Amino acid sequence: MRLIATVLLGCLSFLTHADPVWFGASNASRELYINSTLDMSSFKPLLERFVELNPSVRIAYVDVNTLELYYLTVSEAENPSASLILSSAMDLQLKLVNDGFTQRYVSEQTERLPAQAKWRDEVFAFSYEPVVMIANKNAFDAGEIPDGRQALLSYIRQNDEQVSGRMGTYDIRKSGVGYLLASQDARQADATWGRMLEAFGSHGIKTYCCSSDIIDDVAKGDLVVGYNLLGSYAAQRANNDPNLEMIIPKDYTLMLMRTAVLPQNAPNQQDAGLFLDFLLSDEGQALMTTEELLYPIRQGQSQAHFAMPLGPTRTIKTVDLDQQLLVGRDLVKQRRFIRSWELALELSSGD
Amino acid sequence: MWRKLPQHTSALEQSLDYRHSPSLRGRFIVVGAFTISLIAVLAIKLVFDYSERLADISYDRLLRSALLQMDENVGQEQGEITIDIPWSAFATLAQASEDRVFYKVESSSQGFITGYYNLDSTPERPREYGTIQFFDRRYSGETLRFAWLERHLTEPDASGTVRIVLAHTRLSREDMAASVTQQAVELITLVALVSIVLIIIGSQLVLRPLHRIEQLLEERTPGDLTPLTLKTPRETYHLKVVINDFMKRLQTNLEELENYTGNAAHQLRTPIASLKALAENARDIGRPDEQRQALEKIIEQCEALSDTVSFLLNQATISHRMQSQVMGLIDLVQPIQESCRAQALTALRKGVMLSFETTLDEAIVVGDIIAIEQMMQNLIENAVRYSLLDDHEETKEVVIRITPLPNIFRVEVIDQGVGISEIDKQRVFERFYRGRYDIAGSGVGLSLVKDIAKYHKADILLSDTLPHGTTVTVDFPTFQFRGDHQ
Repeated sequence: MRLIATVLLGCLSFLTHADPVWFGASNASRELYINSTLDMSSFKPLLERFVELNPSVRIAYVDVNTLELYYLTVSEAENPSASLILSSAMDLQLKLVNDGFTQRYVSEQTERLPAQAKWRDEVFAFSYEPVVMIANKNAFDAGEIPDGRQALLSYIRQNDEQVSGRMGTYDIRKSGVGYLLASQDARQADATWGRMLEAFGSHGIKTYCCSSDIIDDVAKGDLVVGYNLLGSYAAQRANNDPNLEMIIPKDYTLMLMRTAVLPQNAPNQQDAGLFLDFLLSDEGQALMTTEELLYPIRQGQSQAHFAMPLGPTRTIKTVDLDQQLLVGRDLVKQRRFIRSWELALELSSGD
Repeated sequence: MWRKLPQHTSALEQSLDYRHSPSLRGRFIVVGAFTISLIAVLAIKLVFDYSERLADISYDRLLRSALLQMDENVGQEQGEITIDIPWSAFATLAQASEDRVFYKVESSSQGFITGYYNLDSTPERPREYGTIQFFDRRYSGETLRFAWLERHLTEPDASGTVRIVLAHTRLSREDMAASVTQQAVELITLVALVSIVLIIIGSQLVLRPLHRIEQLLEERTPGDLTPLTLKTPRETYHLKVVINDFMKRLQTNLEELENYTGNAAHQLRTPIASLKALAENARDIGRPDEQRQALEKIIEQCEALSDTVSFLLNQATISHRMQSQVMGLIDLVQPIQESCRAQALTALRKGVMLSFETTLDEAIVVGDIIAIEQMMQNLIENAVRYSLLDDHEETKEVVIRITPLPNIFRVEVIDQGVGISEIDKQRVFERFYRGRYDIAGSGVGLSLVKDIAKYHKADILLSDTLPHGTTVTVDFPTFQFRGDHQ
């Protein structure tokens, strides 16, 4: 796998990652590099609070796309630039652990985590991420907004022209988390997934790298609906934009976890652990809800502000943080899955 | 005479002797504890081996199941061998919750298909198509458990083989083995400790009857030789019986000794009193010839007293011998002949001829030569003495004869003296009884003879010699093999 990764890296070498955003005093004695897929807006308050608590640490925060982040971490295996990797692509994070790129970390905070929220004491979940759809209310008549995949399919059938070219989802070739969501959809409900792909393909769905871009286009009215988005982003935006409606699919809702790993041989592992402990601490977890950033992994927290938008009757399909995730990343399976996705969406693999 | 045992056991325990004596209980506990520990160690070793095998068996099943699920999904797509790994295969592997998973799929025609390219897929044992092999091999810094399968392709148009290796780390196996081992070790240790405690308690209980006997004996007043009456378990019953028996013997001996001492003192007092009277008499007599006569009487009396004392000493010697010596096989002829020879001259001087008659070369009995000689000496002396009392002037003869009879050797001492009256025959064997006070003797001679005969399990009988005199008959049982092998 490492060989393949290296080959792929050749193509990805143009990915000079963005300059880091600095937090904390410039004269701080220690520096902590964090590579993350989290949008800055969702993470800034946590970073600021951390440097406030630990004035001797200065954080360099680098925002990277999930797939790029994976390849970057693998390519830097010998000499990692970042000491902490945060990603929503659970499968890629788990693969990093399985393939030996990460190291163990045990602390009071990680010991408090439930068993399903960590694996081998090397990858730790710090927040939940329900997978949702988002719709522009203006595009729908009252009560017409679909509440699930079946409803979306029938809406597409009935409103052919209205939805053509005005739906968006992840480009699974570019986004690691996009691929994960699609492959989990295929695993959970293969027939529904097939019909969705067909409907998306025949109505010219637009593909994106990132959740925020899709939500932007839905908010602008370019899209009427976005499919398979990360719940925390969608909720943040829907709370602040009366035109947006977040849809929790009624048939089943995928539940991801955002996870953190500590790369092997990374510098300043001590502060990486310190930051992870902060994320998992009562204060860090509470901050996620009070600042309306993320859905904390420890559900015992009071969630008056930013409650997980799920009723008790919903069917939650939590993606397990274990070896099963490796199957989706099998070379042949991945190639076949992307090929069939491209074929269905009538996208040429050539360009 | 009887001193009580030391009262202070602490002083006893402090004595070097006590401290250097092996402890029965200690030995029992040490041997028991050692045996139990040995068994425990062996059991733990077995558990170690077993738990590893058990863990491998359990988790190899998982690995096999996952491998077969993968194998089922090998197929052909546009002329190429490919595999669609089922989610369920890895869900199976996820039961080994923390173990990293590696795999590789290859075909003989295409080479690497999917998985980890640099995973070593050569089989551990000679390749056998269609058979799963399990083995341990290192990869990515850890020892992995491998399941290996290579089989011929069955798809149409496909030729050659497909090979699947699936491996995972050994963490769950080691956890399982450790937990099995830990539980077993805890259990074994507990059982061993409980057993050792039980042995310690048990040894206390087992030895308690001994302590009770010891305590009872210790608490006794000096001279209390009554039997122990406490109830004891079967195992110490015999000990109690032996102790009681021993005390009975001690009691008998003690009584005899007291009796004997009393009688001896009594017997010695009379001659000593008469000696004193004679001596006073001699002092007071004025005439030298009468004085001389009195002095001779004193000397005579002294000789008699000396005889008595020798008899008493002999008696004591023989009694001691009989109580302490172990009897052996002896030839009866030899000591009897020896006694005759020893006394023949003395007797002859007194005018008595001793004659020894036997047809036997040897007569084997169980006995003690010294005792037999003593017995014969007493009997012969007695016979000579009684012979001399007869006033007839003819030559006196004492015959000593050994005759073999069925199962016995009969020894007879025949004199032709005055004989013994019927009343005296009943009593002559009593200690210090004298048939007639006109003959010298202590009165212990025949009682010693009786003791020696009894000691040899011989029957003794007095009868009259015709026309006059006494015959003493001692019947010794012959020695007979009574071994079971005959």
